[in-house]
Amino acid sequence: MDKEFNVLGKRRFSFIMTLLIMIFFYLPIAMLIALSFNSARQGVIWTGFTLKWYSVLFRDDEIWRAFLNTVIIALTSSTVATAIGVLSAIGIYWHNFRLKRYFQALIYTPLIVPDILMGVSMLMFFVSLRIQLGLFTIFIAHVTFSISYVILIVIARLEDFDYSIIEAAQDLGASWYQIFFKIIIPMIKPAIIASFLLSITLSIDDFVITFFVAGPGSTTLPLQIYSMIKFGVSPEINALSTLLIGATFIISIFGLRFRKLIFS
Amino acid sequence: MAEISIELRNVTKIFDGDFVAVNNVNLSIEKGEFFSLLGPSGCGKTTILRMISGLEEPTKGEVILNGRVINDLPPNKREVNTVFQNYALFPHLTVFENIAFSLRIKRKSEAEIKKKVMDMIDLMRLNGHENKKPSQLSGGQKQRVAIARALVNEPSVLLLDEPLAALDAKLRQHMLIELDNIHDEVGITFIYVTHDQSEALSISDHLAVMNEGKIIQVGTPVQVYESPANLFVANFIGETNFIQGIVEKVEGNYILLKTEKLGEIWCYRDFEVKIGEKINVSIRPEKLKITIEKPSEEVLKNSFVNVFKGIVSERIYLGTHSNYIVSIDQGYQMKVYRQHIRYLLDENIIDWNDEVYVWWFADDSYLIKD
Amino acid sequence: MERTKRFLGFVLSFPGIIWLTLFFLLPTTIIVVYSFMTPGPYGGAYLPFTLKYYKMMITNQGFWILFMRTVVISVISTGICLALALPVAYYIATSKYKNFLLSLVIIPFWTNFLVRIFGWLVILGNNGLINRVLMYLHIIDKPVSLMYNQWSVILVIVYMYLPYMILPLYSSIEKFDFHLLEAAMDLGASRTKTIFSVLLPSIKGGISAGIVLVLIPVLGSYAIPDLVGGKDGAMLGNLIARQLTTARNWPLSSAISMIFLLISTVGLLVYLKFGEVRNRRNRVIYEDYIKEETNKIG
Repeated sequence: MDKEFNVLGKRRFSFIMTLLIMIFFYLPIAMLIALSFNSARQGVIWTGFTLKWYSVLFRDDEIWRAFLNTVIIALTSSTVATAIGVLSAIGIYWHNFRLKRYFQALIYTPLIVPDILMGVSMLMFFVSLRIQLGLFTIFIAHVTFSISYVILIVIARLEDFDYSIIEAAQDLGASWYQIFFKIIIPMIKPAIIASFLLSITLSIDDFVITFFVAGPGSTTLPLQIYSMIKFGVSPEINALSTLLIGATFIISIFGLRFRKLIFS
Repeated sequence: MAEISIELRNVTKIFDGDFVAVNNVNLSIEKGEFFSLLGPSGCGKTTILRMISGLEEPTKGEVILNGRVINDLPPNKREVNTVFQNYALFPHLTVFENIAFSLRIKRKSEAEIKKKVMDMIDLMRLNGHENKKPSQLSGGQKQRVAIARALVNEPSVLLLDEPLAALDAKLRQHMLIELDNIHDEVGITFIYVTHDQSEALSISDHLAVMNEGKIIQVGTPVQVYESPANLFVANFIGETNFIQGIVEKVEGNYILLKTEKLGEIWCYRDFEVKIGEKINVSIRPEKLKITIEKPSEEVLKNSFVNVFKGIVSERIYLGTHSNYIVSIDQGYQMKVYRQHIRYLLDENIIDWNDEVYVWWFADDSYLIKD
Repeated sequence: MERTKRFLGFVLSFPGIIWLTLFFLLPTTIIVVYSFMTPGPYGGAYLPFTLKYYKMMITNQGFWILFMRTVVISVISTGICLALALPVAYYIATSKYKNFLLSLVIIPFWTNFLVRIFGWLVILGNNGLINRVLMYLHIIDKPVSLMYNQWSVILVIVYMYLPYMILPLYSSIEKFDFHLLEAAMDLGASRTKTIFSVLLPSIKGGISAGIVLVLIPVLGSYAIPDLVGGKDGAMLGNLIARQLTTARNWPLSSAISMIFLLISTVGLLVYLKFGEVRNRRNRVIYEDYIKEETNKIG
């Protein structure tokens, strides 16, 4: 490694750029955190420390409802997306059936289309079928955009293993059922956990698609934040943002560390 | 006649409708023997193994195990187990659980599983590694786990698919001896697939040489090495010098061959030949003699000796012996091996550009049909 | 055995195939069909089939202005992202602290989409940080409007999508064999020339992945121009939404959406061609996690 540094030179330019970009990344975040403790109702002038915006936030029923909806959607959609995605990935890995090419196109396309296209098409779809917009339609939408990620993660993991492991299990007397439960599922456990976590993250973060397929009474946190930004900024939103940022930090650290708890 | 363990009758395997991997193969393997399938990569040897294990279905023909046709038996129902080339150990299970896998599938009692697995661990000298994961083992240890896992179920045949290919040369030698010992210990049929002729020669009771989906020759290692059935076998197993010629004269057990490369040479008549027939002769380099001096009168008295003069055009010193390439007067390049028994003592050192005699007795060559 | 496996493979994939066909392919097809139909009074699409809305798109000047603005904003933002991401990815990939620096890139990336946009409202707003600082320094004496124009849209887009560019670039630079640089310099090339002629061509894959990952979602931006763009910064995404929800003209909304469908298809082909179908969003961090687990298991 040290030798490489000679080739790379001092990297002064790239260092300064990295430093500036980091400031750029964290400046808005730092602003929100600071303002959430500022007693001023408006503006960026510091008028004193307060926790009152947090207490307002915690007494806000709408926020709690949105939070609950978000949690329900995130947990259910990631469970279903992970289950379907894991089965599909194993199915594709097991055999090149005739529909495989079609299925692959079907998996990759949702990863690339802009959110607005997915949102608009789903809205038209649900309305045309007279399906009531609400938590159920949000759930369907979230499962749909998560499945592709799950499949890709699980396939990548399966491809790390040699197919002869499956043949060895067969050779040693295992039926397909036993191979599924005793070999494949334990082998891809890390990928299953990772795809579940990723689906949760995607679900909690999604605004655009949810915006189109949500109905009355199915507000999620991102939708709540949107309407708070759009229709009158109250310092409450700073407090909510700070909590979300804090949660992100914790999840990031947890995401990097928790494996030790599960797999030791 | 010994009992037959595995028999293949007119077995053909065609992949994707047009690639013939195995072409009408007939083979019988005796109970308890160490049998090798030897051939270059893509010759169909692994496909034969996979048809025996059940991982591939033959397109045509019958696979017979202990007198019973098993074509339709899925791999998990066959009394045959495989040691895979890359071990194929289950990464999420410990050594103990890897070995116990097939017993657990069969729902054996905990006590029986423990006993059988521990016996295997003793046999394979894996003691102390029971609770390790495969990723914590060395190549040789993984290999032993793979063998133990395949043997614990007491199959009647053990299939080994190039099991030593991933190991380094030293370890390979060591594992080969160990495999031989294991074979003696368990006494079941071993079918061993390899592309390495020295492995096959050193360990097998019988071996089959394959090429392009067909079995070319079946025999003991000595038969296959000393009496190759055709040019392919002679060339694939060991080094050799080929000379093509026309039979000029037959004298008792010997023939005089008229060749383009070396003129007239005497050969042993390994089978019936007619005068005027075109034929090949294979002369193994280790059977050739190379000397600075002319061979002694005593040697030359033998009328069936071939002596040629030449110049050493290349020499590769290999410690135990040297490989020479000698340019014979007529321009033919011959491969000659010479053992170094007393190299720095009284041996005449032969080096590059030396003028030498290359000679051999007619009995040392072997005729091969064209 | 082979037949059983084939059958099981199909059965296992079946729920996934059905789900994506029903909830992704079918809705997308609906857009295609609706774009050729006639709008109903309260939304919906009805017969007869017509090309009216495609014609309207092509002939309407307002649409072209919006279309060109969308393309210009997207291309400029993607270009800025690439220019900024290259040195950063290079620095991170060659740093001793790459894991730490990488998490610094990923954490804001994980932070809620809207929260991050909101952060910029607080900075750019009339009462925001920049106006306050400029007034404090007496450079201006009353707030100037920094928001609701194309530049504020570009700024926020770059902020939001820069990580999408850094991550694929990082992973391709990280895979790059730096001994090649040594070799090139050994053969007499200068450092700058080496970087341009050896490093850049070898990370083409990462660059094209980054461009696709940024350009396509940016073209389809909705929330950013909606919140910081105002009238002057509106993009096609906003037009689609307005036609759908306010004007209730489903066919027109669908016809405009077809542009995105086309772009996505082209993008998908580029994406598949260059292999790296990964790195979108937070996948990187999970990938590292999977990699470590894999090492542990096998």
